[in-house]
Amino acid sequence: MQAGDHRRDRPVGGDGVGVPGPARPAGTRRRGGVRTRAGGGLPVGELTGATGAGAETAERAAPAELVLDLAEMATRHVNAALRSLPDGARARLVNPAGRHNLAVGLTRAVRVTIAGPAGYYVGGLGEAAEVTVDGPVGWGAGENLMSGTVRVRGAASQSAAASAHGGLVVVEGDASLRAGISLKGGRLAVAGDVGRYCAFLAQAGTILVGGDAGEALGDSLYEAVIYVAGRVRSLGTDARICDLTAADVAAVRVLAAQAGFDHVDPENVTRVASARRLYHFDTAHHGAY
Amino acid sequence: MPHPDTIDGRHPQPHPQPPPADERYPPHHTFGPPVLAEIRERAELGRYPIRGWGARRAVPDFDDLLLLTASASRYPLEGYRERCDTRTVLGARRAARPVVLDIPITIAGMSFGSLSAQAKEALGRAASLVGTSTTTGDGGMTPEERSASTTLVYQCLPSRYGFNPADLRAADAVEIVLGQGAKPGGGGMLLGQKVGARVAGMRTLPEGVDQRSASRHPDWTGPDDLKIKIEEIREVTDWQVPVYVKIGATRVDHDVRLAVAAGADVVVVDGMQGGTGATQDAFIEHTGIPTLAAVRLAAAALADLRLTGEVGLIISGGIRTGADVAKALALGADAVSLGVAPLVALGCNAPTYRRLDDPDETPADATLAGVPFPGVEVDVTPEYAALGTAPGHCTHCHTGRCPVGVATQDDELTARLDPRLGAHRVANYLRALAMETTMLARACGKSDVHRLEPEDLVALTVEAAAMAGVPLAGTDWIPGR
Amino acid sequence: MRRSRRRRATGVSAGERRGVGMCGIAGLHLKDDTYRHRLGAMIAGMLRGVAERGPDSAGVAIHSDGLEVLKAVGDPVAFATRIGLAGRSGVRALAHTRMATESAVTAAHCHPFAVRPPAPACGARATIPATPIGPASGAATPIVPAAVPGLGATPVDTTLCLVHNGSFANHATIRRRLAEAGVTTETDNDSEVAAHYLAARLAAGDDLAAALRRLTATFDGFFTLAVTTADSFAVVRDPIACKPAIIAETDRWVAMVSEYRALLGLPGLADAAVYEPEPEEVYLWAN
Repeated sequence: MQAGDHRRDRPVGGDGVGVPGPARPAGTRRRGGVRTRAGGGLPVGELTGATGAGAETAERAAPAELVLDLAEMATRHVNAALRSLPDGARARLVNPAGRHNLAVGLTRAVRVTIAGPAGYYVGGLGEAAEVTVDGPVGWGAGENLMSGTVRVRGAASQSAAASAHGGLVVVEGDASLRAGISLKGGRLAVAGDVGRYCAFLAQAGTILVGGDAGEALGDSLYEAVIYVAGRVRSLGTDARICDLTAADVAAVRVLAAQAGFDHVDPENVTRVASARRLYHFDTAHHGAY
Repeated sequence: MPHPDTIDGRHPQPHPQPPPADERYPPHHTFGPPVLAEIRERAELGRYPIRGWGARRAVPDFDDLLLLTASASRYPLEGYRERCDTRTVLGARRAARPVVLDIPITIAGMSFGSLSAQAKEALGRAASLVGTSTTTGDGGMTPEERSASTTLVYQCLPSRYGFNPADLRAADAVEIVLGQGAKPGGGGMLLGQKVGARVAGMRTLPEGVDQRSASRHPDWTGPDDLKIKIEEIREVTDWQVPVYVKIGATRVDHDVRLAVAAGADVVVVDGMQGGTGATQDAFIEHTGIPTLAAVRLAAAALADLRLTGEVGLIISGGIRTGADVAKALALGADAVSLGVAPLVALGCNAPTYRRLDDPDETPADATLAGVPFPGVEVDVTPEYAALGTAPGHCTHCHTGRCPVGVATQDDELTARLDPRLGAHRVANYLRALAMETTMLARACGKSDVHRLEPEDLVALTVEAAAMAGVPLAGTDWIPGR
Repeated sequence: MRRSRRRRATGVSAGERRGVGMCGIAGLHLKDDTYRHRLGAMIAGMLRGVAERGPDSAGVAIHSDGLEVLKAVGDPVAFATRIGLAGRSGVRALAHTRMATESAVTAAHCHPFAVRPPAPACGARATIPATPIGPASGAATPIVPAAVPGLGATPVDTTLCLVHNGSFANHATIRRRLAEAGVTTETDNDSEVAAHYLAARLAAGDDLAAALRRLTATFDGFFTLAVTTADSFAVVRDPIACKPAIIAETDRWVAMVSEYRALLGLPGLADAAVYEPEPEEVYLWAN
């Protein structure tokens, strides 16, 4: 082979979809559809539902931003400092260098910006806070989120928004496998593609995929609903494509707006929900389990 | 579509019962009457048996061990006078607030959903009365349980039903569940007849579905990830409370080591006799290893890591008596955990329940001792019969038709269990266990139950000697050593 | 002796204890000579990035003119310093860190596992035992270098190196099948079985991609694998993709790591394509 050749093979034992397209660099994708501002972040009002307050007003009124240098601080002290902040406070974590468990378990309406890549569980088990990561993140971004927002300005690894009970997780790049697994009422919006097994066992809530969905989408779904703007590679067990209603279009419009996606046409998405065939256990379905 | 176990999705059909054995003909072991009945059940209903409780089969257990109490070579302590401590501290290694228990006998995780709210409240009250801990389950924490329990362990399971940071911070310890002895490697199951409005709401499920839960956690796999997950739990709880890791007993040596390497403060090892609210009979009877073997393997792993006493060891799966407790402690457990036995104390499998005509009839907990129980006994044997079983044989927790209000969500049935009366019974039972344990420890000359040691034990059978690693009685022979 | 004493103490075979563990892995392949002299520094940074996943022991494999495999017990960062990893040059490298679960940690269970494929036999199966590269059993020295010199520009070295994160579920059966074919493993480690399996498949005529596809269909369990040979670098994951893996690629190099933070500091990372490998797809780069 020639130097530098990169060969990707067909999946082995997969669903026979065929040769996938060339890998798209998730971390470096620039989607025209994602609005970004020099100041970083959307106007507070768009995220919280408050009216009249633009970003500039919010920033002028807000107290000075607390800057924490992670090169100098243990995770424990960083999180303790964030937890001690009052409602409305802002903090910026610099040199995160992919550190795990940043900004977990927050309980107040604080705005935290992580200036660089974060590791597992960023913003996990959180309430009310608005956490933004300027970079890619590891597994379980916003896992078990109760309320508030976790926004990833990059790619998210596996299990983004796992078991989120509320709030909104936004991924501006791609999300890999099992995005929205076990979702329990929270909302997940991914600007790019999602990997295999997205929404596995998802119980309630909404997932919006701005790009394509990988194999086995919605496997073992309960009552969560998935909207896909791109193509669906394959559906999982007990997931089905259903008609889009006016209520769906409205829900997608709101979610896309809150996520800041303008590349999603709410009228032109695929709705995936549970066929509810596995709701009652029957060994006649053994092949489906 | 109703569950095949039920008529109209609600009332269970009687299970096919084996005919009584006929003495005139030779018995058949491989295809005995129960086996024939099971084959017919699979043939008729197209499914495998699902049930509650733990393994029915006989496996080597603590009854196969004996304690060598004091005589001429060692002196006993006076039974009713000289102190024998039962205080137990768990998780002091990293937690700012370790779990401190008055007795080394705790109540295991059982879900609200599998159990009634009344049963969960009763267990919490009982644990508080005797100064021990109780544990939530696969369905989240109820306010009744939190307020009734002085020390409450909050489980983090693969399903994450009802898991939330407020309850996490309200907990006195967190138990990350990798598996349980009844079904190591299997996910949970709760049949639709128990998924009522409140259970469904807490678990974010549609009412009446047959809930099938995951067997792997949604956001980590393997011990290297678990280490990160444990750090997250510590961060959210501000490093205040211990983190337990619970495993079903299979590859115990390796699994205990990995749990410790991942950062567990306490390892909970649940042997194959451990109970469940509902799972496949094949799982219950044919997976995992006996508690007797598990406790010795777990203790040896901690000893090899030089972490005995540093990392706590809780053993569960078929613990019934103070003798079981004493033997488990002697083999290296720091505490034991009970599930089925406290349910029996609550009234599980009893032929009657006690009806209180006046809810205020229950005296205050503190004054119950020595006072006759109020109310009247009501016979529910016919209701067991309707389930195709009888008091003393019932494992029909999965049907949700528990005649004594323990494992049901039916309003009429749950009303049969008064939480305060139930708490009194369970507290009595746990106190009796603690007293039996100290009695045996004193007789071994120990001023603290935690000073019992393997050398205080011998085995009755070669199997038990090999599994527990103690000599066969009358010899110095430990098979395999 | 040590093992029999431990058996006495716990009655547990070492295999049960050491079958799987906790670890971090990294692999690096240079597409041209630009960073040849910085390969050691690059892989050292990657090793540091996965050290938390496996703080008890470490190992590296470096393909330069030949192959060198180094393993040692102890802190991975100290290990890298001790062997002067940052100063080494080469074209391809693997790194592995391990969290031990036994009281007496030995280098024997450290990755990378290096195996030279047995010479092809007449039948489909290899019958000549493989020669493993790495520490001899019971070696007292903490670091066991094993250099395989090359001859001029033509690499004659056919050794395959492997690092694995995860745990296999049916390696015992595959180990037995390999033994029937005359291939014996040095340790009770599950990952070593995969290395020998791949080497046996190469000897039987498969190319590396085909051998990895066959491994994916043959082995049960969870795995992210990175494999190097004298001219190739490959990555493959199990169908469920249970263990983490991230690939970063530029015109000059391709890197695979367990965690993103292990990529930090690589030259040109800002412009690299960064993606997660799809489950059960073979990713292969060859010079």
